[in-house]
Amino acid sequence: MSSKAHSSNNIAHARRTVQQLRIEASIERIKISKASADLMNYCNEHARNDPLLIGIPASDNPFKDKKTCTIL
Amino acid sequence: MGEMEELRKEMENLKDQITAARKTFQDTTLQEAASGVTVVGRVQLKTRKTLRGHLAKIYAMHWGTDSTLCVSASQDGKLIVWDSITTNKVNAIPLKSSWVMTCAYAPSGNLVACGGLDNMCSIYNLKGKDGNVKVMRELAAHTGYLSCCRFLSDTEIITSSGDCTCVLWDIETGTEKMVFAGHQGDCMSLGVSPDFKFFISGACDFTAKLWDIREAQCRQTFSGHESDINAIGFFPNGNAVITGSDDATCKLYDLRADQELITYQDSSIMCGVTSLAASKSGRLLLAGHDDFNVNIWDMLKSERVGVLAGHDNRVSCIGVSSDGMACCTGSWDSFLKIWN
Repeated sequence: MSSKAHSSNNIAHARRTVQQLRIEASIERIKISKASADLMNYCNEHARNDPLLIGIPASDNPFKDKKTCTIL
Repeated sequence: MGEMEELRKEMENLKDQITAARKTFQDTTLQEAASGVTVVGRVQLKTRKTLRGHLAKIYAMHWGTDSTLCVSASQDGKLIVWDSITTNKVNAIPLKSSWVMTCAYAPSGNLVACGGLDNMCSIYNLKGKDGNVKVMRELAAHTGYLSCCRFLSDTEIITSSGDCTCVLWDIETGTEKMVFAGHQGDCMSLGVSPDFKFFISGACDFTAKLWDIREAQCRQTFSGHESDINAIGFFPNGNAVITGSDDATCKLYDLRADQELITYQDSSIMCGVTSLAASKSGRLLLAGHDDFNVNIWDMLKSERVGVLAGHDNRVSCIGVSSDGMACCTGSWDSFLKIWN
């Protein structure tokens, strides 16, 4: 590749990088306090529907091998 | 050249701008905000099932949306679809190339996909008319290995590659709809947002990127890791991203605050993270490591609350089922284990 083509590739790449950084710089942000509060609220609200967190009673656990019973 | 110098200056200015802007929103830390929250009690999960059948290292697994079926890929050259409750093999699909690195289950349950060092993503129809599972499409265009793939639907799939790009494919025509370029290193993993509008990618350039699927646009880039990001996933509400890296840590980045909230690390953990999954409420983070273990973290308190020790080799993949009832781990020891 000629050095001119090489440098114009570099410039094209640099232009794209600048363009991308402009997009990333311009986004709207929220405060960490709000972000944290929302995450904590989500965890709280859904805790009771999180089997790995609260545990599963043996009778409701499809993966637990059931002990067999005989009816006498 | 004058223009190159100007562009370099503008790059540095913009990077400083982003750093400064992020700082102005740092009114607290997640650690402080969660200081009143009690750490979850010790999490002790038991192996409920062991799925035996692969003859070599397992590289990937993915749950079907019914929370019962799951697919695994091994370098024995097979994709196996398992009924995780009965441990029966529903399908055992021989692959053209045994160098498989990823697999995925379509939300509909009709298709599975896989790929690896063949640089292709192969789509298989599980519900073919004559009952045989056949290759439906071979998606070829990547110039590097296929590291990860995830279906949006039966007609669209997103892939990540060692060629540093991600691609959105039209499965019916077998063509690329969008190419997502921007990473400066191999893309290792991807995750799709719960609303299917965005996806995140983790790469060997140590960054994670958020992409708008329809605009083919990178919206945000997250740095901080000191080595390759091997695993990535969304927090269940879609507002945060979790990453796992060769630097032995996991990080939580908030999308709306546009920055890292917390790092999950411990001086006793020295092995890279290979895989990760969040529990259904997002409170627990399960991370698979090179040291054969899975560490369980309280995501809000950044404290380790459990360990899954049961594999005899590296844990290469992990997934929590959609209903949150079970966690599946896959290992280089050739077994999958179901835990809850």
